Amino acid sequence: MKNRQPAYQPTSRSKAVKAGAVASAAALSLLLAACGGQTTSAEAGTGEKVDGGTIRYAHLQEPACVYGGWIQQAFLSRQVLDSLVSQTEDGSIVAWLAEKWKVSEDQLTWTFTLKPGLEFTDGTPLDAQAVSDNFEFWQGGGNGTVQAHIGDYYSSSRAIDATTLEVKLSEPFAPFLSALSQGYFGIQSPTALESRSEAENCESPIGSGPFTVGEWKRGQSITFNRNDAYNSAPQNAKHQGPAYVDSVVWSFIQDNTSRFGSLASGESDAIGEVPTVDFDTAKAQFDVQQFLTPGRPVTLSLNTVEGPFTDVKVRQAFAYSADRKAVVDSAFLGVVPFEGNGTVSSSTPGYNPDVAADYPFDVEKANVLLDEAGWTERSAEGTRTKDGKELEIKIVFGLNSIVTAEGATALQNLQEQVKATGFKVTLVPATQAELFSGQFSTPDSYDAQLGYWTSPHAGILYINFRQNTEKKPNPANTTFYNNAKIEDVILKANSAKTTAEANKLYGEAQQLLSDEAVAVGLYTQTSSVASNPKVKDIWLEASQGEPVFHDAYFTE
Amino acid sequence: MSILETRETTLETDPDQASRPRRDRHIFTGLRSLGTRLLSAVGVIWAAATFTFLIQSLLPGDRATLLLNQLNGQIQERTAAELAPINEKYGFTDPLIVQYFRFLGDLATGNLGTSYQLHKPVIEVIGDQIAPTIVLTFTSLLIAWAICIVVIVGTAKRNRFFSSVASGLEALAAGLPQYWLGVILLVVFALNLGLFPVVGGTGIGGLLLPALTLGIPLAGFLGQVIRTEFESGMDQPFALTARMRGMGDTGVRLRHVLRHSVLPGITLSGWALGSLFSAAVIAESIFTRPGLGKVLVTAVNSRDLPVVCGIVILVAVIYVVANLLVDVAYTLIDPRLKTS
Repeated sequence: MKNRQPAYQPTSRSKAVKAGAVASAAALSLLLAACGGQTTSAEAGTGEKVDGGTIRYAHLQEPACVYGGWIQQAFLSRQVLDSLVSQTEDGSIVAWLAEKWKVSEDQLTWTFTLKPGLEFTDGTPLDAQAVSDNFEFWQGGGNGTVQAHIGDYYSSSRAIDATTLEVKLSEPFAPFLSALSQGYFGIQSPTALESRSEAENCESPIGSGPFTVGEWKRGQSITFNRNDAYNSAPQNAKHQGPAYVDSVVWSFIQDNTSRFGSLASGESDAIGEVPTVDFDTAKAQFDVQQFLTPGRPVTLSLNTVEGPFTDVKVRQAFAYSADRKAVVDSAFLGVVPFEGNGTVSSSTPGYNPDVAADYPFDVEKANVLLDEAGWTERSAEGTRTKDGKELEIKIVFGLNSIVTAEGATALQNLQEQVKATGFKVTLVPATQAELFSGQFSTPDSYDAQLGYWTSPHAGILYINFRQNTEKKPNPANTTFYNNAKIEDVILKANSAKTTAEANKLYGEAQQLLSDEAVAVGLYTQTSSVASNPKVKDIWLEASQGEPVFHDAYFTE
Repeated sequence: MSILETRETTLETDPDQASRPRRDRHIFTGLRSLGTRLLSAVGVIWAAATFTFLIQSLLPGDRATLLLNQLNGQIQERTAAELAPINEKYGFTDPLIVQYFRFLGDLATGNLGTSYQLHKPVIEVIGDQIAPTIVLTFTSLLIAWAICIVVIVGTAKRNRFFSSVASGLEALAAGLPQYWLGVILLVVFALNLGLFPVVGGTGIGGLLLPALTLGIPLAGFLGQVIRTEFESGMDQPFALTARMRGMGDTGVRLRHVLRHSVLPGITLSGWALGSLFSAAVIAESIFTRPGLGKVLVTAVNSRDLPVVCGIVILVAVIYVVANLLVDVAYTLIDPRLKTS
């Protein structure tokens, strides 16, 4: 901790002043890059491990609570809560709070054996009953995202003895363990959940994890203090026992220039969401890791029940109308990969890569399809018309809450490209309040909506494409697409006996959905971290890409 | 206390009114003007609260859906069953007028409610964050005054060239957008020269750049107003008299003309204080300073009505208080107002 030199030394004064004088907002990042490029990276130390210290980490978004069903909350709660199991990069599941597990022949009863003698940081024993209480808490509305993942499958749970937990499902559910590995499934102290106020459980949930929540200075930072008694790291952690560092100061720096600047000036040891414009500079000077988030990629969900996209030919034509790879590459400077598969992203176990190439950029095909669909006339501006109505597409996207500025640029590129085939795209950037209040959740409010949904397993297809019926509505089906046959394939996949069989069926479902062109893929949701080379072993966990600081340490 | 009551008390405590009619009239007008001021202050605050409440409540979209979706990071419609407990808890399904009077009633008893998002009392949310914003606001105002006084006393009505360059710079400064200026200051002085921390925080070192970000454009505004007054003041008979008495140029400028010409600047400062308070969010987000501006933006984004109303009411109070202070400052600076 002491005597650490900043990794970045400012260039000579005169140069910087001159550069500053000519800088305009647009040139700032270039300026930074130019300055950064001329400096040497961190001075070579002895590389010897130092115990203790405080990691200063800077993150983009600050959620209202530490625990919740939003990925931003999972980032925080991962530091203080442990889950039952952990998912590794290859999609396999390893032990965490549960040492081992088995499933009954009918796949309906899961029996977990917990590590013995564990305690939450408030002293409550972390036993089978405590875990069972957590299942009940989630199902009772404690976490809507948990419900989205397992709500239709979970039936009951009970403690057989202190370390043996039995979970009953109503139907076999192949991605069950994978779902449990996410931060939303972090196990909290039932005593804390029951006896403390809503505000306390929001600000400082009590778990058994490597850190505890210290002070939260709103608008500034949260301090995570080491849990000295920590002894339940997942099997894929790099060490067991308490964390090496004393604490992590997790600050919130929304401004991209400032966040990267704080790393460059040595005020932060690591930052998340490395700005795309600074990505190359960061790679040259710092340790950069990028994680492609599994689940549904950032995709355009096309409204299949109202407007022009009710016609499958128009949907397909739209997918053919743009060089989406170029659209994404130019907006993200090649940092974030294009994803042609509109339903499942490439890092998800069970991803079907063939689907990604189903709709290459092909203006001719698009034109033929639109002609066949009856959009034969063109207006003076070149927009296709049918019965005097223009082929207008309203794309809604949550700017800055769901979609980054680069994502918005990608949409603008797309808007320009599809003009050639006669689409008139209107972009509707929605504020966070508009979006979350459900203003743009109804079929009459958009033709296409850009969004993602993280999930470590391809069972995300069930969440997004389960039929939306009156009896059993599925508001997460943002294409409003109901197809009993495809749903059936997905259900079969969910209840398959083996992961291999499940993945084959998930692949099939992706192909069927792609044939219907209900979702047009654009790019992968990513998370990234850049760290000073003197900090080692920060890693991004594989269910959602949350940075893990338990193994991290400083070197001399 | 109403005006009527005031009058009665005055009458009772002062039975021998006929002998001192003049003083009574003075006290009476004083109290009446205080009463009118208080009434209008309450009116301003009521209007601000009502307006914010209505806007927040009447915006399209469902508030319970918003809360539930934000909790889960999902964007979707919600079933009535899911929304029922939230509606119940916050009374969203009550008629708007009922909600409004409940809100006013709470407000009257000083209860600003509990944040929907943070689950904390609004008073606490504001209390946690108000100090850095107040520090930033007053430092910016001081910096603005310091810059503009130095520039004006130094350049107005001296060398024609300097004078016009300075007045040109004032116009330029007044037109500088704060978000642009802030990023430039950050990149040049914090990132490249390393003179200040990039992440400001609440320390002294982190205060100067954000305060300059807000203070420089304000100095431009103040300068434009004061300069005109200052230049005409230099030609006034009192300035001539002072010179004839043998006073030096600097003395005349500082002791007579400046005092005469800052009045419009003082008026402007009342407005500026409120405006700085609302502009603070720009400096706060660029320099990663905690503060109310950031809280307000987050609250607006998530339609956290109690927090938004709380902060808007606070800003209204600040405007009212600032204007009162301006009036007091007037009488201190301009002795003519004391006797009139």
